[in-house]
Amino acid sequence: MATVTPTAAPAATRLGPLFAGREFLWGALAVLLVLLVAIVGPWLAQDPAATTLDRRLLPPFSDGHWLGTDALGRDLWARIVTGLEWSIAVAVASTAIAALIGTVLALLAAERAGPVRTLVLQTVDAFLSFPGLVVAIAVIATVGHGYLPLVLTLGGLSWPVFARVIYAEASSLMQRDYVLAARLAGSSRTRILAGHVLPGVAPTLLVMLAFHLADMLVAESALSFLGLGAPLGEPSLGNMLAESRQYLYVAPWLMFVPACAIVLVVVSANLLGDGLTERLRGRARRAP
Amino acid sequence: MRQLLLTRLANLAVLLVALTTLLFFLLRATADQAAMLAGVDATPEQVAEIRAQYGLDRPLWRQYADYMAGLATLDFGESLVSGKPALADVVERLPWTLLLAALAMTLTIVLAIPIGAWLGSAQGRPGPARRAASAVVFVLQGMPGFVVALLLIEIFAVELRWLPFIGNEGLDTWIMPTVTLASFLVPRLARVVAANVAGALAEDYVRTARAAGASAREILYRHALPNALLGATALVGTQFAFLLSGSVITESIFAWPGVGSLLVRATQNADFAVVQAVAIVIAILVFTVNAGADLAFKALDPRLRERRS
Repeated sequence: MATVTPTAAPAATRLGPLFAGREFLWGALAVLLVLLVAIVGPWLAQDPAATTLDRRLLPPFSDGHWLGTDALGRDLWARIVTGLEWSIAVAVASTAIAALIGTVLALLAAERAGPVRTLVLQTVDAFLSFPGLVVAIAVIATVGHGYLPLVLTLGGLSWPVFARVIYAEASSLMQRDYVLAARLAGSSRTRILAGHVLPGVAPTLLVMLAFHLADMLVAESALSFLGLGAPLGEPSLGNMLAESRQYLYVAPWLMFVPACAIVLVVVSANLLGDGLTERLRGRARRAP
Repeated sequence: MRQLLLTRLANLAVLLVALTTLLFFLLRATADQAAMLAGVDATPEQVAEIRAQYGLDRPLWRQYADYMAGLATLDFGESLVSGKPALADVVERLPWTLLLAALAMTLTIVLAIPIGAWLGSAQGRPGPARRAASAVVFVLQGMPGFVVALLLIEIFAVELRWLPFIGNEGLDTWIMPTVTLASFLVPRLARVVAANVAGALAEDYVRTARAAGASAREILYRHALPNALLGATALVGTQFAFLLSGSVITESIFAWPGVGSLLVRATQNADFAVVQAVAIVIAILVFTVNAGADLAFKALDPRLRERRS
């Protein structure tokens, strides 16, 4: 799990010139396309577990298997879309968990100084200074494989990424006059946080969701690659890559296809994140 | 400065206690170590014997208290695989991880700073070469280390047969792990350097230097870059933890005998003592590097030096 700060990408390395300021559009389109494939693909594709032993290791563009087949004669396209569905499902759920915990704790910490703030900030500091993958491996090793343990571990370990950034923004919003006005008018803490501060941090939250989704997908793939993510028999982009290592000589496409899929998803999500940052920054500049 | 180090030490202590406690109870709650050790076809008597032998039949709180007392004296218990003290296993492999990290960090700095400086000096008018390079950096940032590693293996070991697949004997086996690990950081560092150089070039002192007749090259290397590198130093410190995450993957793929591959192996064997020892040694390592980066940052940036008054 990488730590991401949603600061704008430097102008010099943004793809802006390449897309003429349409990063957001292209990123959003690409992410929607990926989601569509992950949701609809498994319904339309063949059975990803169906083995045809006389049709093993077929190269791409073979008859009936346009991406080819693996060592057991299973259709690669079917496995890719099923793997994509699994990887995206893990990434979306763990991102949601991380965002929820991180945002709630950040808002509570920003609301007033006290033991809650100290505890949250200390925990965030401690978590962020530690290699996430090492902890994730250690925890997964103990709690076991499967969808729920994976999602809870990834979400439960990566929320400080959200907490740090949202806290910084929320605590500056707490100083604003309109928050003071709301407080003087007798609004409750919940009402101030949910009604006045949360909408203010929403744009940042949106940007972070895009980047975090990419990070969680990479984390899931890395764990599955090491044999610690998806359970046996469940295709995932990571364990497909791990299996492909035995066939690098005879069937390199088994490696190229999932590798391209991972890079495509991550680059799309990063593009969306950069595009969102750019849009929201543009909006902030126009606002008085 | 002292205050900062003390705060950091307190953070480390909290982290270590929380981490070890969490791992201890998670493991005891979810896995029967004795049954795992005995194997699938062991009789209940054999399992009970192993349980007694490793002290796993005592009350949980006793095991926890003994465990924490052991940690305080740097006794992590014995590896179930090698039979040696877990800490010895980790310390034996630590130099390999540090070597790989140092090689990757060196390669990162050598590549990322010139690339970043070049990308950042476009001053709002990037030509086709810079645009293409930006696109490459952007895609590279979205490429996880294991994908980079497999591509390198496919190209240089399988197709061209220039480099050996895995191992750590001979300098040629060091190339692919180093490049893989560096691929985690190069795009990130390059982007930060580019942004900082672009920012520095817009500063007043650059305009003054230009007005005084300094050449573009002189402005970039003598005025803009040194200031840009300041921010890069901070990044290198904070990304060290990220680098160690990367080395877990890299070491496993290339069978590099460091602590990362040890962690993965220990995980697969439910070798609890080693998992904990690795986690704790890495926590201490990250702490040391971060504190060192803080100190370096302070020494390099005169604005951050404490006034002696």
